[in-house]
Amino acid sequence: MLWALRKALTLVSVYFAYMMEYRGEILFWMLSGVAPFFFMSAWSEAARRGLTPYQANDYARYFFAVFVARQLVIVWAHWNLSEDIRSGKLSFRLLQPIDPVWVYLADHLGERGVRLPMMFAITLVFFWLYPHALVWPGAAGACLGALLAALAFGVNFLVSYSIGLLSLWLEDATEIFDLWYVATLFFSGMLAPLSLYPQAVLQVIAWTPFPYLVYAPAGLWSGMEVDWRRGLLALLFWNLFFLLLSRWLWRAGRRHYSAMGA
Amino acid sequence: MRYLKLLLTFWQTSLAARMEYRTAFLAAFLEAGLEAAGKLFGVYLFYANGFDFGGWRWQEALLVMGLATLLDAFFIAIFNPNLRRVSEMVQDGRLDFVLLKPVDSQFWMSTQQFAAVGLPFMVVGVAIVVYAGVISGLGAGGWALLALSLAASLLLAYSLAFIFATTAVWLVKIFNVVYFLNTIVWTGQYPLQAYTRPFRLFMTFVLPIYFMTTAPAELALGRRTALWLGPLFLAALLLFIASRVFWRFALGYYSSASS
Repeated sequence: MLWALRKALTLVSVYFAYMMEYRGEILFWMLSGVAPFFFMSAWSEAARRGLTPYQANDYARYFFAVFVARQLVIVWAHWNLSEDIRSGKLSFRLLQPIDPVWVYLADHLGERGVRLPMMFAITLVFFWLYPHALVWPGAAGACLGALLAALAFGVNFLVSYSIGLLSLWLEDATEIFDLWYVATLFFSGMLAPLSLYPQAVLQVIAWTPFPYLVYAPAGLWSGMEVDWRRGLLALLFWNLFFLLLSRWLWRAGRRHYSAMGA
Repeated sequence: MRYLKLLLTFWQTSLAARMEYRTAFLAAFLEAGLEAAGKLFGVYLFYANGFDFGGWRWQEALLVMGLATLLDAFFIAIFNPNLRRVSEMVQDGRLDFVLLKPVDSQFWMSTQQFAAVGLPFMVVGVAIVVYAGVISGLGAGGWALLALSLAASLLLAYSLAFIFATTAVWLVKIFNVVYFLNTIVWTGQYPLQAYTRPFRLFMTFVLPIYFMTTAPAELALGRRTALWLGPLFLAALLLFIASRVFWRFALGYYSSASS
């Protein structure tokens, strides 16, 4: 157990150091995640004209939470895998006495170490501009939200990793992840709080992972009504589902690996 | 003429190279459809809650959304794949080879790639614009104004993207800078009047998203007189000249990988 922990720590710290080098890039990447603030502005304008069930301040709280939740679940394993498979770098990873999935996971966790301090800075600026949006959701809400966000990251990472493995058959599978990304964009509550969506749409997406990837944690943090029990259940189920899928793809796909020198 | 021929050759090779990845193309088709449906749904959500973006009929709002989709397609097909290479080439010193070629280096850096996955987005964007234009009752004059102002807005977006990408000469690894602009432009899918005042000011004077989607729609619909076309083109041209000057200035600071 101890040796596993030590290995994990080493891997994560290596990738933390690696990502520190590219902090400028990460900053711009974070800034490209500011779209929720524009949606906040549009819904606040709607609220100012007195047309929606929420107040402008509710939207500020909600969309800030959406911004945070989205930052936490960002993944790019599909991109790494696709690159490694095409260029043959995967060969070296196969030689290491460790399943490559841990290396990709460490890459993501190390990056969070660089992203979190920058997120803190953006948080300060936001609450300086919108001081009324600063409302503590309570310890229970905060912790539950963090748990759901962690599970949401799990689903996102496993999907990204599985799609990356498809590159073993398709050469380049990165565009397939964009499909997942677009579905997340529209059904995870980034356009508006899900409570404003029509009932019919909500029923269709109720058991898909999408409403829980962003809306569930963001809703808990900003005091919207969230069915967290169902969210927890759905996220656990989809984690298991994509875990099994990715294991199976890894087993079946390795035989197809035929990059330079393999 | 020579540059036109070059452009054709560049894009033919790009298309041929990407033909290898047919699944990607298929996925892009699905994605373009899904994204248009999602954006439409977003507009619907506002109207269903009784917010008309500050005085836009829904077919007019659709026109703005279509223009944003079209602009986005240009980012996917041309601006993103080319301009991320500025950063790549500064990083490994391959920019040397571009500078040695007997072609204008800005032209080469901006046009050499063409991503086929952008094509489905263009098709969807044109379809939405044409549909929205027809049901908004655009006349021949309206269409002409729309086409002209769209050309100006594309030039504006390109110049801005190129200026952003040029900063790679100093900052080296900044692939994401063009994506940053791409997502900001994404917010142009709603008319400017949908946003609160500080955002409106930002989108007009800091990052001129207003001139890219809302302004062409306003011109075509006759909400502003055709005279506004002049300043629109002037702004686009000035920014284009600025991008050329900035590129030359930046090259002065470029130290290749070996020197």
